[in-house]
Amino acid sequence: MKRTLTLVVILIVVAAGSWWFLSHRNPNTIGDTLNVYYTKAADGTSEVSWPVSMRPMQSGETSAEHTHNAALYAAVQNVAGPPADVQAVRFPAGTRVLGVTVAGNTATVDLSGDVKNQGGGTFGENGEFKSLIYTLTAVPGISAVAVLVDGQKLETLPGGHLELDQPLHREDF
Amino acid sequence: MAISNSTSRSTARTSNIRYLVALLLALVATSVARADAAQSFVFEGKPLPVSHVATVGGKLAISVRDPGLAQLLRATGASLTWNPGERYVLFTTAEPQIVSFAVGDARYDVGPRSAQAGFAPYEMAGAVYVPFDELMSALYLAPKRDGDAIVIQPQLATFDVRGSGAGTTLVARAGIPLKPRVVSETAGELVYAFDGVGTSLDRSRAIRADGIRAITFAQSGTVRAPVTTVTIALAPGTGHGRLATDDRNGFSLAIGGAAAPGSEPVAVATPEPTDAPVATAAPQATLAPSTAAATVTGIDAHAGPNGYSVDIAVGGDATYDWHRLRDPDNRFWIDIHGATLAAPIADVTGSDPVEAVRVRQLDASTVRVALSLSGQKHLDVQPNPGGVKISVYADDAGDDVARAGSGTLGSSAAVAVAPSPVPSGDAWKFGARSTYVATNPRLIVIDPGHGGSDPGAGRGGLREADLTLDMAKRLRDILTARGWQVVLTRTTDVDVYKPNDSAHEELQARDDIANNAGARMLVSIHVNSFINAGPRGTTTYFSKPVDVALAQAVQARAAGVLGTKDDGIVKSHLYVTLHATMPAVLVESAFLSNPDDLAKLGSAEWRQKLALAIADGVKDYAGAPPAPSQSANQ
Repeated sequence: MKRTLTLVVILIVVAAGSWWFLSHRNPNTIGDTLNVYYTKAADGTSEVSWPVSMRPMQSGETSAEHTHNAALYAAVQNVAGPPADVQAVRFPAGTRVLGVTVAGNTATVDLSGDVKNQGGGTFGENGEFKSLIYTLTAVPGISAVAVLVDGQKLETLPGGHLELDQPLHREDF
Repeated sequence: MAISNSTSRSTARTSNIRYLVALLLALVATSVARADAAQSFVFEGKPLPVSHVATVGGKLAISVRDPGLAQLLRATGASLTWNPGERYVLFTTAEPQIVSFAVGDARYDVGPRSAQAGFAPYEMAGAVYVPFDELMSALYLAPKRDGDAIVIQPQLATFDVRGSGAGTTLVARAGIPLKPRVVSETAGELVYAFDGVGTSLDRSRAIRADGIRAITFAQSGTVRAPVTTVTIALAPGTGHGRLATDDRNGFSLAIGGAAAPGSEPVAVATPEPTDAPVATAAPQATLAPSTAAATVTGIDAHAGPNGYSVDIAVGGDATYDWHRLRDPDNRFWIDIHGATLAAPIADVTGSDPVEAVRVRQLDASTVRVALSLSGQKHLDVQPNPGGVKISVYADDAGDDVARAGSGTLGSSAAVAVAPSPVPSGDAWKFGARSTYVATNPRLIVIDPGHGGSDPGAGRGGLREADLTLDMAKRLRDILTARGWQVVLTRTTDVDVYKPNDSAHEELQARDDIANNAGARMLVSIHVNSFINAGPRGTTTYFSKPVDVALAQAVQARAAGVLGTKDDGIVKSHLYVTLHATMPAVLVESAFLSNPDDLAKLGSAEWRQKLALAIADGVKDYAGAPPAPSQSANQ
């Protein structure tokens, strides 16, 4: 009787523990690497990713802050682009990430005004923003990307083609 | 604040216990200690305004807000991403590599490599202090003592030898832009001097790459004015040439003739266009007479109880679009397309709110009626069986009025466009409909990209705005000859909305023309461009499910006949296609930035082929235009 009771207690503890573990396991946890994308210059539409090592969560860093930091790191990596000898569609020279904020599942990326120096084609603009959106939406917890330029919302870049005043998703490309 | 290192050190000389206590105190104290005020920094022979540094355990820390650091970042082509209160401090180097620090974590990353810094970055006085030596090294800069000063010496940091089947490429990289000075170039040896950079590269390397026997590095000059000399010993009979590189601080040499993969020749030959640049005069004479079937027979301008009315009498089928400018330019005009003036009409001097009315034959098939208004007045454009009526009211409309519109005159009726073969998903933000009912099923709006204050891309004397207008007019002529009504969003080199407007206002004005007219489809014509000569070809962009079939039809025809690379159809978040309520595509005809494509764009014959390809795509997509009489009966 006593043995049965012990067994039942053990079973209950194991079941409760399993339930707690499964329910608290976050499938969207940011791992050791982030995938950063660039658009191939050969066709202007193919996305290629490379892994970058993500700093582990620090003591005192909340999960929301960690998501923000991952999004920031990913955005900076994407805008910098792959090594110079890779034939990639690149943001205009000097373009940098001024900051990133995350609200819900939307990351807002603030780009420096250099991004306005597009020089003409849909090709570059499409490739630049496609890779940015692919990169940020690869960060667990982020599915949409809003764009600011020098802190301001823009409907389009000067002389540009893309609509930028609404959050962008992978499905938009 | 200013607890100096020397005070801490003198305390530490006595007993062991006191020494340990003092050591602990020193560790705490130095973390907030400013560096010796006498410490001076020199960069490229000039004082560097470094003012926010500290020492931690004898190692230098620098504030991300230090003005001297800002100057170093500019000189090296690097940038900083950090905002107050944030843990991550990210530098982007010219290479590009990301140098990543984080408050409280001694780990730092340079590109793909992680390492441990001498101390963890920390926050002080609203800024983050990062390890100085580690950051300098990542920027290919070396701090060197020279007397009392710390000289920040740019380094020739890497000199890679890359072999390939086609030859060998040498890639050098430094902290600042490299300006090689040729010391000697003989058959067996190349000697380059790099002024202003030092190096810690191994003095000599035996290389077993094609064409190269050895490379030696030598540093001379002074700490403040170093010179690095690179000597490349070549195998007999080996050629060489300098290569272009995207890396601003890089230098690249091809050895053995052919360039390595990923490289481009320094000079890209740009052929002259095969014929004269696009003529600015419109080829109106080629228009089929049938396109100007309508006639403007007269106008009746008169003041009424509520304002002023202009009745334009039009006989026959025509389309129109109207525009108004923004205060203080209070002009309004309406263009009647497919119409001629029966007889010249004299200017009318009006009365408030209309100051004057002018009627002109703008080109072979367009009549323009222009009104000078006394302000941003309310107005209404209403087609009627006899033509179109413009009513201008006395009251001010304010700034948020419609500034463009369009419509049809004569007979018209709505028919449904065939449903898109692509099922519409639920992720579409605009035009989430699989069928679109065109109120004017005979009308196709063609949008020549850019124009006026926005010339678009340019290369080799060709401007995107001219090329798109030329191709649009050619397309209009073909389509009108095939029985379509066609409206161009612009017929000259002008802004459709207003000069120096935003791209968004400009694109919306183009969409307004098609949307207000209830056009069957919108075709926007553009010319592509990129920062290098690599990309080439023809692409049809689309955004909505209802666009897909049109995009496929146009691209299929274009791919077959143009001789350009077929870049396929591409979905993108383009304003002009998103905000068109009807099937809409944006055709990027070819690349101005590619020599082969540029030559094609410069050829009138090729531009005619492009127009024909789009017209044939329209035919494949929509068949023949509905006859006016059939439309009227439906």
